[in-house]
Amino acid sequence: MVNVRSKFVQGVIVAFILLSLPSLAKRPEFQLILKNHLFYPAEIEIPANTKVKLIIHNQDQTPEEFDSFDLNREKVIFPQKKAVIFIGPLLPGRYEFFGEFNPNSAQGAIVVKSSKLNAKVNQNTLIDATALSSNSPDKPVTQQALVKELNRAD
Amino acid sequence: MRCHRLISLLRIIFFSLVVVFNHTAVADGVVVDKVYHPYVLPNEREFEWRMLSHQNDDGNSLGHRLAYGQSLTEHLMIEVYLVGERDSTGDFGLSAYEVETRWMITEQGEYWADWGMLLEVEKEHKLDIWEVTTGLLFEKEFGRNSLALNAFLIYETGGDIESEFEGEFRLQYRYRWLPQVQPAIEFYMGEDYTGIGPAFMGIQRFEGQKQLKWEAGFITGLNGDSKDHILRVAIEYEF
Repeated sequence: MVNVRSKFVQGVIVAFILLSLPSLAKRPEFQLILKNHLFYPAEIEIPANTKVKLIIHNQDQTPEEFDSFDLNREKVIFPQKKAVIFIGPLLPGRYEFFGEFNPNSAQGAIVVKSSKLNAKVNQNTLIDATALSSNSPDKPVTQQALVKELNRAD
Repeated sequence: MRCHRLISLLRIIFFSLVVVFNHTAVADGVVVDKVYHPYVLPNEREFEWRMLSHQNDDGNSLGHRLAYGQSLTEHLMIEVYLVGERDSTGDFGLSAYEVETRWMITEQGEYWADWGMLLEVEKEHKLDIWEVTTGLLFEKEFGRNSLALNAFLIYETGGDIESEFEGEFRLQYRYRWLPQVQPAIEFYMGEDYTGIGPAFMGIQRFEGQKQLKWEAGFITGLNGDSKDHILRVAIEYEF
């Protein structure tokens, strides 16, 4: 009986380790900025049923904790650092998140769209970055422009 | 590169567990306690209280645990426990102390499943009995459902006990319905004990990192005793 149980436990461990071997495929990346305790953009569209990498740049002088019951994620983002959060694969819908240290201002949502095309198009969607102290605050930027700017800053 | 290191590490841990499981019995005694999750947050500090009440044909036994925990790094947490039990004469007192570390091996959501590791050293109060526990913590999300598995290898040694290796397995399937109410099913397996039963857990957030977490489970033993129930409760205050 004991032997059967041990074999059962071994079998479970083997099965899950084999299934857990990481995929080397590159995942879609989405950038977020946290500044003055606000997320920019406050809403991001991602494709359904796809794992994505969310990179959050904390440009504030204080730490923040990304928190979302909908996404089942908690992550501390240290000041002037970036944090990576892997989310998905998710079903279409709206998934809200907030900053635990500034819950009244730091709020946002991930909107999951059913088609990959929608999310790709959205990467070019204009973001209201006027509140960011960028070089051209009155000029709207795209997610791609945001990525370029962040890469330059790195 | 990081992936290859991770795979190598998991292989080493896995093969070590398989080798040892081949030469051990699963744990004797009651294995119901808590199903661990493989996650650690930096800057986290917590107080924890756990209660376990076991009712069977021989009567009732009661155990309490008080703990203080703190994350040491982004991926490592340490917790120190005082264990109290009601003895056969009905007196309640300190029975053991314990140090536990949890290591978050993979980033949450990065791979198909999330992995962590636990290392625990327990010393019986006034007795020369030491218990070292190590094992894997596993968690997989399916939409709003989470499956957590713990597989532990335990080594008991000391002057007051015959040294032996044991194995232990715990499982929790949880539905994340509301932050405050998350129903679950738990399953525990050791040498002399197999139990299953409903549980629920929840979380209430307060200002900043302060939050209160609770868990309760009612586990029924499947060992053939006419009466074999365990009520377990845990409350955790994080700040």
